[in-house]
Amino acid sequence: MITEILFSALVMTTPLVLASLGGLIHRSSGIVNVGLDGMMLLGALVALILASGGNWAVALVGAALSAGVAGWLMSLGITRLSANEIIVGLGLNIAIAGAVRFYLKAAYGSSGNLRLPDVSRLPKIDLPLPGPFGAVLSGHSVLTWIAWALVPLTAWVLTRTALGLRLRACGTSAVSSAAIGLHPKRMREGAGFVAGALSGLAGAYLSIGVVGLFNEGITGGRGFIALAAFYFGANRPWATAACALLFGIFDAVQIRLQGRGFPAELIQTLPYIMVCVVLLLLGLAARRRAEGKAASHG
Amino acid sequence: MSEMKQADAARGPRLGGQGLSKSFGPLMANDRIDFVARRGTIHAIVGGNGAGKSTLMNILQGLLTPDAGTVLVNGAPVAFRSPNDAIRAGIGMVHQEFTLIPGLTLLENLILGAEPRRGLGAIDRQAAEARAAALAELAGVRIDWSLTEEDAPVHMRQAVEILRLIYRGADVLILDEPTAVLAPPQIRELLALMRNLREKGNTILFISHKLDEVLAVADEVTVLRSGRVVVSRPAEGLDKAELARLMTGEPVEAPTAKPALPGAAVLELDRIGAGGEGAVAFQDFSLTLRAGEIVGIAGVAGNGQDEIVGLVSGMMPAARGAIRLAGQDITRHSTRERRALGLAYLSPDRKKEGLCLDASIADNLIASHQHKPRFAAQGFLKPRAIADFAAERVAAFEIKCASPRQPVRALSGGNQQKVAMARELYDNPRVLLACQPTRGVDIRGIAAIHEEILGFRDSGGAVLLISEELEELVQLSDRIVTIYSGRITGEFPRGGAGMERIGRTMLGEVAA
Repeated sequence: MITEILFSALVMTTPLVLASLGGLIHRSSGIVNVGLDGMMLLGALVALILASGGNWAVALVGAALSAGVAGWLMSLGITRLSANEIIVGLGLNIAIAGAVRFYLKAAYGSSGNLRLPDVSRLPKIDLPLPGPFGAVLSGHSVLTWIAWALVPLTAWVLTRTALGLRLRACGTSAVSSAAIGLHPKRMREGAGFVAGALSGLAGAYLSIGVVGLFNEGITGGRGFIALAAFYFGANRPWATAACALLFGIFDAVQIRLQGRGFPAELIQTLPYIMVCVVLLLLGLAARRRAEGKAASHG
Repeated sequence: MSEMKQADAARGPRLGGQGLSKSFGPLMANDRIDFVARRGTIHAIVGGNGAGKSTLMNILQGLLTPDAGTVLVNGAPVAFRSPNDAIRAGIGMVHQEFTLIPGLTLLENLILGAEPRRGLGAIDRQAAEARAAALAELAGVRIDWSLTEEDAPVHMRQAVEILRLIYRGADVLILDEPTAVLAPPQIRELLALMRNLREKGNTILFISHKLDEVLAVADEVTVLRSGRVVVSRPAEGLDKAELARLMTGEPVEAPTAKPALPGAAVLELDRIGAGGEGAVAFQDFSLTLRAGEIVGIAGVAGNGQDEIVGLVSGMMPAARGAIRLAGQDITRHSTRERRALGLAYLSPDRKKEGLCLDASIADNLIASHQHKPRFAAQGFLKPRAIADFAAERVAAFEIKCASPRQPVRALSGGNQQKVAMARELYDNPRVLLACQPTRGVDIRGIAAIHEEILGFRDSGGAVLLISEELEELVQLSDRIVTIYSGRITGEFPRGGAGMERIGRTMLGEVAA
């Protein structure tokens, strides 16, 4: 029971880790990306179409590229046209949702759902681990392992490389960074591409990793949960991944609780509500710590 | 000094200007400026506000193109098209607003944009640390490179600003009013750092209006007035009075204060507790201000000045203790109620808080008095009475303007401040809370504002003076109270201590 919940928690966490790391990178460069959900949706659709009668690796690349371009265009709107980042992000979500619905209708005559033949699903990796470890860790898709490998990699790039240093500098002070010859706009656009690409992979995981079909509600607002994760992670990759895992665990619990007599719609709100509650408590604790620190100064 | 001079003679021109002119509309900001800063010297550029210092610096940095004349690098004419051209020519500038990036450590700030690397784009930390240590040693300063920008003390951040230019290959350093943010002991350290860098062959352009500091370090001095070079000469043989005369064109006398005749207590802060959460914490903070005296608050910025202003003006609540104005408890009074009881407040940020720049001089003069019977009846303003009042105030405070209907934005800094002063001193306030009253004001304006403050005191007003200019505090205050981290560390009567001693208590040393 516990191992099953943990196994599915890792499944539910994978897209969140990917998208929230993308959001974290974009935010480090200075843009709060509200469009993660839309880019996830785009990635999910592109991945399914390319995987049908094709190859999952090509599908992943296609999902990452298409959503990456969307993220890049969104950043261009913010950096070159001085558009408001929140408006552009929300607009991108709505625009992609609309475009997806239109495309499904026009190309497949379907409303909202898409089922394609011969979908090449993401391969799963079986690990010969004993007992509960095997039950929790074995059988996950390659993308799950990639997602977790990206956590330390992101941390390393941000803190230990010249690129990461410049990214953080541009994110904190565009004016000062430009004054010493960096290019904050290009940095933000590049980070926007990365945010899009990772969100696209998150979407691909949902469509060709978990279910093998597409539906216009497939993201279930996970792009916004990712937003909460990178926000509370405060630009720290491990903390961000921990927030994502938290949601994944509640999501897994929710799935278990379904079909046990509770009304399904109510149970499905559980992870979202719990994330709000936990983040609220964390926020209050942080504030109390800050107050304690200030008081001991006096 | 004589060896210095010999060495200087052998040193060629590093950065200069020939006939540099730049005008903005009818204003000639720079008018045929000639000067030469020689390699390995400290060259001071001195002048009051509006003398043309900033325009000249912007030209030397490639931010402005001169209308006529040319910049000389190593004696040869060059045309800078952008700041990058200036950087390539080895010219770097430290502005008054620092440009280090918060969240990054001092080391990261140093290497940003030119990071020593190992494979895969990884930063070579050891190499970075070694270069940082070498630079600190060169400058003769101690720097904790692992501090983040926001945790580092201001003099350390400033040193990093300077060293960063050298790290990036500059050997001409333009320092714009670098001592404005420092306490006296730190100023001495900075001057020592400048000398060290000069010994290593760097050229420093030192922009300042603090004559003592200029005379202490400069090899040569160029004095600007109204966009022109008044004189460009060796510093040797110059004295302060002479330099002040060159800057202003005629001798400026500091207003001499009559002895204070303090009366009854008018403003009392009684065991105040406040602050925390990003503000400086106050505990049991007590201060009494009597009628007819000026009490100066001296401290390095960020040690409680903002909080005192907030507490007295009513913008920040006191958690404990009481504030009394003329015997009445005003602890819970709003800013408006406090003003009605006779509190006047000269804001440190006259552009945002002290004045409404786009409103007319007249409107600014009646702001917060507008409801009084002289200016309004039955809820309608009385335009003629307001115009008469404005004309009267403009004359009384010698506000230089074309008409009281001009927007305040059109005035110079000193005249803007006079408008704020004229408004605040109207209707016989009891207490004047004056915060940085002469910030961004030229010498002549400073003298006028100081006279107003002293006049107010002589007529029985009480002044709480908060200033970053220690000289100003010493000149005006009947008592100086030093604060450090929200605590009072010393109290000095007029003439009771030298600036050095006051400076030490500003840094936390408690006066015996």
